[in-house]
Amino acid sequence: MARFERTNMVWPGALTVVVVTIAAATFTLFGYRLALLGTPALASEQGGVASTDGVGLPQGYRDWPLISVAAVGSPVNDVRAKLGNDIAIADFRRGTIPYRDGAIIARLAWHQSHDQQTGDAIGVQARALGLNEEAIAKLLSGTSVAGAPINVQIMVKDSKKFASTGGWGFAQFTNGKPDSIVQTSCFSCHAPAKAVDFVFTRYAP
Amino acid sequence: MRQPDGKSLPNAAAFIVLAVGFGIALNSRLLGLLGVPIPWFASSGGGGGGAPADVALPGGYRGWTLISVAAVGSPTNDIRAKLGNEVAIEDFQQNRLPYRDGAIIVRLAWHQVQDQQTADALAMQARSLGLDENGIAKLLSGTAVAGEPLNIQVMVKDANKYASTGGWRWEQFTNGRPDPIMQTTCFACHAPAKATDLVFTHYAH
Repeated sequence: MARFERTNMVWPGALTVVVVTIAAATFTLFGYRLALLGTPALASEQGGVASTDGVGLPQGYRDWPLISVAAVGSPVNDVRAKLGNDIAIADFRRGTIPYRDGAIIARLAWHQSHDQQTGDAIGVQARALGLNEEAIAKLLSGTSVAGAPINVQIMVKDSKKFASTGGWGFAQFTNGKPDSIVQTSCFSCHAPAKAVDFVFTRYAP
Repeated sequence: MRQPDGKSLPNAAAFIVLAVGFGIALNSRLLGLLGVPIPWFASSGGGGGGAPADVALPGGYRGWTLISVAAVGSPTNDIRAKLGNEVAIEDFQQNRLPYRDGAIIVRLAWHQVQDQQTADALAMQARSLGLDENGIAKLLSGTAVAGEPLNIQVMVKDANKYASTGGWRWEQFTNGRPDPIMQTTCFACHAPAKATDLVFTHYAH
């Protein structure tokens, strides 16, 4: 019993070190990734405002229909899906530009992860089709599935409310909590897509 | 044929050929897009095990909820999404195994393509974050969006009807038309996923 208590005394200290180390490593890695994904990692240092500028994580977005999918290479290494609410999906399908007020696009990103079972099954198939081991290795190195979630980015169309940023409000959520982002940074990165109302994604048939 | 105003009028025969061709192309594309059931008249002469007469794309599948996304490497180079009908999505979200009769999983695959606008925006961001040109080239080489559709695969659960292939039936559609496939081949490849009712994909949170 005494020994157990002593162990209990020691653990908080060790745990703190571990937690701080992991937190620091996570921040270093994650902050960098976030930055690449359309969001200044240290928005607050740049006088940023909270991503909640009237843009919340919409109810039921995970069930919205798919707009398209994409992947971003190293060092981001994500795989992503864009989903749209009814207004956005209708606009995408009809090619309505600009998007109507109320349109919401949700971009979900996950870490690329290698699934052993999927890899094995593809390997078996590829081998049966005559691919050599080098080719199979190449095939599998480019094969990935969605792993743990990275973050969710939201674009909400309101041509009046967000007039200063092309009619779009931007937000980012990690683990369901809003990240601090700078609207003007999002907007300037999306500016090259002005001809398609600042939306890079096209509907995947 | 020349009009008084100097504009040439399209040759009637050529016009008809174009119109019919366009009609066919649009039709198969639209049918696929809209999930309209397509009867099995495309007898591709694939021999035994071809798709049976009642094979059709499930109505409205393109609006179904996303299960997950993935990418397959070279030489396939596709990017894919799995969508599920209500029964399937509920089973995925509740980790219910085996999947219930009536569950349908649709796997859509598109060719990976590079989108110039997306790449330019990514590169600009990456450069501002200090990535060197080699790093940017690597980032972009692993970056892709969904291009032209490749094909659609469908898994339909009916434990009694498809008992000989683990309770699932497999289908594949290219341009909205069913391809002749071997149920036993599909089944054999999915066999390693027996513990998860022959389904490789996990729900992406």
